[in-house]
Amino acid sequence: MAHQTPLGSSASHVSCLDLWREKNDQLVRQAKVTRLPLRRQQLAQDALEGLRGLLCSLQGLPATVSVLPLELTVICNFITLRANLARGFTEDLAQDIQQGLERVLETQGQLEARLEHELWGLWDAALRVSSLLPELLPALHHLAGLQAALWLTTNRFGDLTLLLQTLTVSQSSASEDMLLLLKSWRPPTEESDAPLTLQNAQGLRDVLLTAFACRQGLQELITGSLPKALSSLHEAASGLCPRSLLVQVYTALGTCLRKMGSPQRALLYLVAALKEGSTWGPPLLEASRLYQQLGNIAAEIESLELLVEALSITRIPEAHQLLIEVELLLPRPDPASPLHCGTQSQAKYLLASRCLQTGRAADAAEHYLDLLALLLDGSEPKFSPPPCPPGPCVPELFLEAAAALIQAGRAQDALTVCEELLSRTSFLLPKRPRLWEDARRRTKESPHCSPWVSATHLLQGQAWVQLGAQKEAISEYSRSPGPASICEQGCTSDMALQQLQTAALISRGLEWVALGQDTKALQDFLLSVQMCPGNQDASYHLLQTLRRLDRRDEATALWRRLEAQTELPQENTAWSLPLYLETCLGWICPPDRETLREEFQTSGDL
Amino acid sequence: MADPRPRVEYLAGFCYPLGGLAAGKPRVLCHGAEIFLSTGRELVYVYDREGRLLIAVYKFPGQVWHLELLALHKVLYVLCAQSGIYCLSLDQTTRSVSRDKEDGGDDQDSDDGQVGEPPVPVIHVDPESCVLPDASLHAFTVLDDALITLALGPTQWKMQLFERPSPGEDPRPRGQIGEVDLSTCTPPAESQGASAAPCFLPVLCCASPPGSRTPLGHSWSSEGVMLEGALFGLLFGADAALLESPVVLCGLPDGQLCCVIIKTLVTSTSALGDPKALVKILHHLEEPVVFIGALRTEPLAEEVEDIHCDCLVALGHHGRTLAIKASWDEAGHLVPELREYSLPGPVLCAACDRSSHVYHSTSTGLCVVDLAQEGSPLDPTESDGAPGSLPPLLYPDNLGICSLVTLCVSSSVPEGGAELLALSAKGRLMICRLDPHDEAPQPSRVTSAKAGQKIKQLLSGIGTVSERVSSLKKAVDQRDKALTCLNEVMNVSCALLSSREGPRPISCTISTTWSRLQLQDVLVATCLLENSSGFSLDRGWALCIQVLRSSQALDLDSAGSAVTYTIPVDQLGPGGRREVTLPLGPGEDGALDLPVTVSCALFYSLREVVGRALTPRDPFKDPPSAECTPIVLPEQDGVCLPLSEHTVDMLQGLRFPSLGVPYTQALGPARDPIHTFLGTCRVPGSQPAGPESLRAKYLPPSVATIKVSAELLRAALGDSHAGVSLGCATLQWLLAENAATDIVKAQALSSVQGVAPDGTDVHLIIREVAVTDLCPAGPVQAVEIQVESSSLANLCRAHHAIVGRLQRLVVEQAARGSSPPDLRLQYLHQMQANHEMLLREVQTLRDRLCTEDEASSCATAQRLLQVYRRLRSPSLLLL
Repeated sequence: MAHQTPLGSSASHVSCLDLWREKNDQLVRQAKVTRLPLRRQQLAQDALEGLRGLLCSLQGLPATVSVLPLELTVICNFITLRANLARGFTEDLAQDIQQGLERVLETQGQLEARLEHELWGLWDAALRVSSLLPELLPALHHLAGLQAALWLTTNRFGDLTLLLQTLTVSQSSASEDMLLLLKSWRPPTEESDAPLTLQNAQGLRDVLLTAFACRQGLQELITGSLPKALSSLHEAASGLCPRSLLVQVYTALGTCLRKMGSPQRALLYLVAALKEGSTWGPPLLEASRLYQQLGNIAAEIESLELLVEALSITRIPEAHQLLIEVELLLPRPDPASPLHCGTQSQAKYLLASRCLQTGRAADAAEHYLDLLALLLDGSEPKFSPPPCPPGPCVPELFLEAAAALIQAGRAQDALTVCEELLSRTSFLLPKRPRLWEDARRRTKESPHCSPWVSATHLLQGQAWVQLGAQKEAISEYSRSPGPASICEQGCTSDMALQQLQTAALISRGLEWVALGQDTKALQDFLLSVQMCPGNQDASYHLLQTLRRLDRRDEATALWRRLEAQTELPQENTAWSLPLYLETCLGWICPPDRETLREEFQTSGDL
Repeated sequence: MADPRPRVEYLAGFCYPLGGLAAGKPRVLCHGAEIFLSTGRELVYVYDREGRLLIAVYKFPGQVWHLELLALHKVLYVLCAQSGIYCLSLDQTTRSVSRDKEDGGDDQDSDDGQVGEPPVPVIHVDPESCVLPDASLHAFTVLDDALITLALGPTQWKMQLFERPSPGEDPRPRGQIGEVDLSTCTPPAESQGASAAPCFLPVLCCASPPGSRTPLGHSWSSEGVMLEGALFGLLFGADAALLESPVVLCGLPDGQLCCVIIKTLVTSTSALGDPKALVKILHHLEEPVVFIGALRTEPLAEEVEDIHCDCLVALGHHGRTLAIKASWDEAGHLVPELREYSLPGPVLCAACDRSSHVYHSTSTGLCVVDLAQEGSPLDPTESDGAPGSLPPLLYPDNLGICSLVTLCVSSSVPEGGAELLALSAKGRLMICRLDPHDEAPQPSRVTSAKAGQKIKQLLSGIGTVSERVSSLKKAVDQRDKALTCLNEVMNVSCALLSSREGPRPISCTISTTWSRLQLQDVLVATCLLENSSGFSLDRGWALCIQVLRSSQALDLDSAGSAVTYTIPVDQLGPGGRREVTLPLGPGEDGALDLPVTVSCALFYSLREVVGRALTPRDPFKDPPSAECTPIVLPEQDGVCLPLSEHTVDMLQGLRFPSLGVPYTQALGPARDPIHTFLGTCRVPGSQPAGPESLRAKYLPPSVATIKVSAELLRAALGDSHAGVSLGCATLQWLLAENAATDIVKAQALSSVQGVAPDGTDVHLIIREVAVTDLCPAGPVQAVEIQVESSSLANLCRAHHAIVGRLQRLVVEQAARGSSPPDLRLQYLHQMQANHEMLLREVQTLRDRLCTEDEASSCATAQRLLQVYRRLRSPSLLLL
């Protein structure tokens, strides 16, 4: 440089620009190299730093029109790489874009736009400038594509629409429909000797189109505007869609059609989704929902079993390309999304609880035991989370397992599960000072119990009943109910607690009946009716006991009250009780309710 | 009196940066006899405690922020800043293999800290052993088969759970099991990438429930704790207790203390963990969390092997301390007992032992607090079943070892006592043994055993004091040195100031030449500092050269802009010389505003030398006491001795290409390559079209003349110019300080064509003339000096330079007492009256110029120029 004559400076101009260009091209090639994923990540990181440095040196000089296309291309490459390495668009990328726009305006001496407007104002000004400088147009459109991606992921659709309208204004009439705008946007093709890019503007536009359609479709699906969702999702499926995404789109289409009441068409899409790729979770879960809606329990359970198996395969994430891909622009499915299929243990829980609900007690018991083993066996290297919080909390899981075991006739196993639960939470139980110890000895009732402890005793009682040990059963039932205590975990509602206590009283009453001690039974049934007047099971048991004790007047009065109650609309059937409690309530339901009713109706008036 | 004096055993010294090691990043781990140590820089040391030698030094590509040791697997995990987590197998075999890759003693770190130990080769860690590359990682911990990391995202902290990679394994990205964002805390705003290292790193601590299958010290991280069931269930809920899942406690630099249940952190590959469900915020300390630990406040039953801690402790940087215990209220419900204490801060590091002590280090000393409730009944049967509550106040006990930057409680604890492994800010690795048996002093009865103990204590006391003594000694030395320096400064000042006449003992002569720097010709001033005194100028002296360039040299209203260059005079002994050259211009704009005044002075900064000695930085002292800083020196205080002043005017700045003086580039400013490049990018214009060149083309050159009486000149120039015509002699005199003076002399020129720094021509013509009608005695012989230039500015500069010289000449002659010839006073009066009138007009014109608008001011300026010309034209005659 020191010995250069002034004439040589034009040669240095060319070589300097070429030097920068060559640097850009080399870094892009480096980022595109495919080798070991890890090394590749390091290479990409290095390339990012290289681009950052190159950008610094370019932006250290005053902006000139001849250098700007290269500079904008470097910015685009930089943003593409950065978004890829961070696996998402972040707000600070906006600064890089803004800087690029300011440089464009700097060449025209229009920097005042920076102070007056936000990013949108800058875009407006820059695009107006570029109409005078056609050589800037390809790079500027590329940058606009990245801006669109950023605004798409940050849900700034107003700005996005304005930008697209400006970009397409020469090509079609202004429209509000973003899909239409995206379709009509034709980024100018880059010249063959343009600096290398990681992704060209046309490719970016296609990605944006699919991502937008997909986003919109999912959003509409969640908000319930189903026909719109259907058309958006069709649009997404017909666009540039990688296989893994196609699975999701087909699954969403299945969900949409199921909700629209065309289960057969939905099924077709789900089959297509299963054929499409290696992520079988979402379509299988959707299939189980579909079969549940159709009432095909066998198929539903089978789908869930397949789902559990599918989720047990740990999928190795494919090494993604360093491009802006559709998945980068989509939000990760949250639990509310139809595409969320959860973890293996969550699926296992779903399977087990559905088995229990549909009366497949033996299967349910096995699945619950599997699930508990999965969660509690620490020796297994594989990690599996409990199904909370979308599902029940862990104590309830134990209780449901115990209920399923009792239902399946495995009382001994149920007792083991209950004991395990109690022993594992023993240190959380209230300590009872001596004063309370005395009180407890007198009343034979614990003053405070966590709700699941009460439930455990209830289930233990039921297990003892099944084993024929009535005394143990009665003592367990006696330990179960207590005054409503503070619900520590929030798992159990007050209503559920009331039902739980009622169930314990009825169960004890039934044992007294079995032992022939009708007066004691009567006391328990009376208590249970008082505690929960709406519980008809309690009333029927009371009615029967009264009849057996030949207390006809009371029985008649009770019967009349019961009749009046049944005539009233049943309003509180909508309680959602924990599954284990529903199972318990199923056990104490009087078997001969209808015959009793007929008996009373015929002879009842007396 | 009652505090147990620690017995401090010094093990080794490690290098440390200026100002000592910073807390937060250094780590010390201990496994058996091996000590693993990092000082927060690139090296990890392995030190053998029994053999007392360094076994290995590993060098990492970046700062080491954290170490975790899995003793069972013999694996060391190292977090390297901006790089990721490395995994080193500690087997002897791999060590010897990788030692082949060492390269000599390139690392100065390896030897400058070691005293009397053979330098250990530095093993450069292979980048292949990076098992988890991620530049944003800030903390990690190892738990069983899981690796838990904390990375700083753009807006929040992100906790990730990985399968624990083993050394030598292929790094697999698939190992990630779960991920959750910690709730929106505000991490420090990263300015440029993530280059700035954070002051505080997050702190992680694994807590496991009792009876879990991974007992302490098995495949646990060094910082794991096992909590008592009640406390565990209370803090983390029934789910964690039922699942028997370990929990990661996380203390963030913003003060948040939160926890994540590991077994629930497992997320599916497609979905992020929900922070609301997974992250539980336990507390907010409102200052950076520096330590999380757990301890046992109640005595243990004998048969228990594992220590189940019953109290969780977290320390903030400024000393705020949180302790949580499980307790029961009157109704028998489990409730947390939570207490906040304020300990002396800032806390550099902290540790818990397995009893109830928390050790924390501040810059003033290592403190210990006891969280066991004193005086409470220790027998659990007596205490209503309720555990002893936390003490309402803590009394920190200062153990006197200051500035420890990292602590590690040694696993082999002698009965009842504690052994701490510590690294001080000065890089000293030491063992502090705290013996609880010392706690009851019995001054009256001194048994021989006690006496031995006492002597040991005293010895160790001497050890801890020695560091303090050395620092005080250093301060005294500094003061001595400062005083010596001051004495010399006094000598030099006296020598310079007392010799008002005659050659000064220390002088600085300034000359100018044109010289070529890069692509540009630059007027360079050379200052030659000569020390002919008997004293030497030591460190602390600086040569200050002030260059005062008046931006408009002839406009007296404008204050010039001054640039001062300060060049340290590093050792200039008697008879020594030092030459300093500095470019005067032209600057980037191609302009060189002459005259430029260059003045030299010697400066001695008192703050630099004396100030440091007066305020010694004593790390052992508490806030600097009053006697330490009696004098507050102002920022600029020092001794300034003016040496010389030199004015570079136009006559010195002229170049004469016509005389064959080497002259390369006539035109314009230097072309920066990038400017050249950018220039060519513009629309190709025809040629530089500056106003100067246009003026040169189309305007006649401006002319100014000065007449000096020949007699005056002859008398002034004296004999030195004998033999040449007076015109030649005058020109030589005028250009005496110009490089071309020799050529002018040799060619006996009386007129010369020069080039001003900005490239315009300046013509000097000397004629001998006779001036009539001035003196009654007849015509006066005079010399007319005519200056011509196409640039008015350069003309003025040259004129100014000539007049300046003549002024000096006249003053000198007047001092010699030469009498002027008889003058016709009438004529002089007339001239003076004329000039006064013209000057008044100048004044009014200039006033008008200030008020007028653009168009009319142009005319006024024209008029002003004419008046100036008239002012010059009946040119002045100097007699």
